[in-house]
Amino acid sequence: MLSRVADSLYWLDRYMERTDAMIRVLRTNYVLSFDDGINSVASSRQLLNIFGYLPEEKLLEYERDPEATMRFLITDSTNPNSLRSIISKARENARGAQDHITKEVWEQVNQVYHQVNDPSMEKRLNDETLKVIDQLTEYITLYYGVTASTMPRGNGWNLMNTGKFIERCLLTIDIARQHMGVIEYKLDESRDILYWRNLLLSLSGYELHLKTYRTRNHDWNVVDQVLFNPNFTRSVRYSLQKIKGYLTKIVEHNNPEGKELLWNQFGRMLSRIEYADMDQVRHEKVEEFLRHTRNDMVNFHQLLGKSFFSYH
Amino acid sequence: MRMTGNALLQQYKTGPGFWDEMCNNGVIRPEYGHIAQTLSETLVESLHYKDKLAGELFMNQGITFTVYSDDEGIERIFPFDIIPRIITGKEWDFIEQGIKQRLTALNLFLKDIYSERQILNDKIIPADLIASCPEYTREVYGIRPAHDIYVHISGIDLIRSDSGQFYILEDNLRTPSGVSYMLENREVTKRIFPGLLGANNVRMVSNYPLILHQNLLSLAPRHISNPTVVLLTPGVFNSAYYEHTFLARQMGIPLVEARDLMVQNHRVFMKTTQGLQQVHVIYRRVDDIFLDPLSFKSESILGIPGLISAYRKGNVALVNAPGNGVADDKAVYAYVPSMIRYYLNEEPILPNVPTYQLMDQGAREYVFNNISNMVIKKTNQSGGYGMLMGNKTTDEEVEKFREEVEKDSRNFIAQPIIKLSTVPCFIDGKLQSRHVDLRPYALCGPQGIDIVPGGLTRVALREGSLVVNSSQGGGSKDTWVVDLKINEE
Repeated sequence: MLSRVADSLYWLDRYMERTDAMIRVLRTNYVLSFDDGINSVASSRQLLNIFGYLPEEKLLEYERDPEATMRFLITDSTNPNSLRSIISKARENARGAQDHITKEVWEQVNQVYHQVNDPSMEKRLNDETLKVIDQLTEYITLYYGVTASTMPRGNGWNLMNTGKFIERCLLTIDIARQHMGVIEYKLDESRDILYWRNLLLSLSGYELHLKTYRTRNHDWNVVDQVLFNPNFTRSVRYSLQKIKGYLTKIVEHNNPEGKELLWNQFGRMLSRIEYADMDQVRHEKVEEFLRHTRNDMVNFHQLLGKSFFSYH
Repeated sequence: MRMTGNALLQQYKTGPGFWDEMCNNGVIRPEYGHIAQTLSETLVESLHYKDKLAGELFMNQGITFTVYSDDEGIERIFPFDIIPRIITGKEWDFIEQGIKQRLTALNLFLKDIYSERQILNDKIIPADLIASCPEYTREVYGIRPAHDIYVHISGIDLIRSDSGQFYILEDNLRTPSGVSYMLENREVTKRIFPGLLGANNVRMVSNYPLILHQNLLSLAPRHISNPTVVLLTPGVFNSAYYEHTFLARQMGIPLVEARDLMVQNHRVFMKTTQGLQQVHVIYRRVDDIFLDPLSFKSESILGIPGLISAYRKGNVALVNAPGNGVADDKAVYAYVPSMIRYYLNEEPILPNVPTYQLMDQGAREYVFNNISNMVIKKTNQSGGYGMLMGNKTTDEEVEKFREEVEKDSRNFIAQPIIKLSTVPCFIDGKLQSRHVDLRPYALCGPQGIDIVPGGLTRVALREGSLVVNSSQGGGSKDTWVVDLKINEE
């Protein structure tokens, strides 16, 4: 496979995963913002911090205007992290690798692209926000379904999924850091589960949390779920396990120079998560643990690029 | 009561003095019998629905181009008219013979002009016409491509005059585009008029990519059993990018950009996740001048340095061969009938449109004295650009053009305005007649010339317009070659 195509496929799924996460976070915040008082103002700030880089005065401005926040995050083409921008980038990558994705996958990417670029989008966002978000969710879900059911299980599929789970891992860490940052990582104060509802719903893990964790030590249970729960599809551990599977196949198939270095880097990162327990996290401090893991992942991504995508 | 297509057929008006492909003096021609029957039984709202569905199908497949306004890109589809254009099997067989004959002669001409130049020595074509042709490519002189094939893929434009006679309008021998529309139009017609294709005995077009792939494989150096064939695209911003991806996918070959390729030791390689992999055949959709910055335009970033040297050594095949522009130059076009007589000793089957070389003083005067019946074209431009339609112009524009022609008469030709044939189109809820041309696609391989029956019908969607180019408001139609049953003829 061409290195350029490999790069495009990797980024296609990274952007689609980001879109998926962003829609879920937006929906959660939008719905929770109707609950009286709690978290509404704070959550909009977190949202803007995760998906945008804004100066304090702009943040304050958007906090006061939920509709403008929605437009900024969904349709604003000047915001490089708006849904419109991210989906356009996904489509650009899909276009560059069009002969390596199936017709069905291409059509699905196109459908999301046309939906988010529809001229009536801004008006609809004001009139029927939730409907618009749900429609986007549906298209993204279809994208995942169509991809899973039509893409051949070769190099392309493995690269796409590697991109997807790297992005997922980074987003889980970013979203968790935002929520924990608000309380300055003070996790021993027996917060109500309602405080964590926003984070868990944003990661699609609320129901699993209720079913899995019986103790009332919600703060640390949430940390456990986000980092280590092997059944939680957005936990760091789950993402790393998935990456391991796809990476094995990619390396086997391409046999790149410097594969030992790539495995060493990945192995160290995986071991840190696989063999860590809550005591160690407490000892290292959650903030530091998350930051460390994130840095490891970013370094791994760069090494992956050097090994497979260096075509310039 | 809801209106059916029957009322639309009754109201269908054909322009006087034009050959209408569906109606002959108000009577439906036999080849349009089935479609007219279906139309008459279909509700107008159903036709609207089909029209909308076709648009959505093109949109969702990304068969679009981008229009920029207020810095925002808006995706538009190339207009498609839902009513197919029909050509009878007999007419097609005649066209096919004519194109095969013409392509055979053009291939021999290219071989000759880049080696012996017998045709110039025998003064069939003036040597200064070739010497002054900007598309004559000295850099490829003496290179003999595999099987002596220069024009592997061509799109030859045909028009039909008021008498129903087909004429060759121009030869496209460089990187003709539009074949994906021919194939996709057929797929869309299958969706919107299921059943009609079968009932009409329409000849198949879908094997085009398979024939092309076979031909490409056969061009690789002979000792390679499993050659690597790639399609070279200028990139995602090229207006024909969709077509490039479509063909690459249909043939199962990699779609590469210049940055994916490199030349080492006169061999071409592509950069893959497994390292460098040698490439043997390149179906390139990049124009000659951008192909190799070492041989042509030095600032080209769409090209691969050293590509022409690899081509000269026979280590890579280029499709189409560089330098073909000399054979489809609009001034050289006038000499194609002479080429056919010279190389094949045959009379041309398909005639040229009469063409005036404006280098000649007498011809120039005649053309400007009869400008209202003439179209003047720049020899090196296409896409409907650099053209003056004498019947739709002002005196000032004519004067301006005359000055340009006087300055550089080699690069202009003139032709009488041909009354292009018309076909019915579903526009604004009515059947309206619009002018069309026809571009069949021919593939030359070691086994001979294959022309898939049909081609692309381009429609001038503006009322009264004779310009069918997509950049000038043109659209397209599915083109059926229909074998009539004996009792229908």
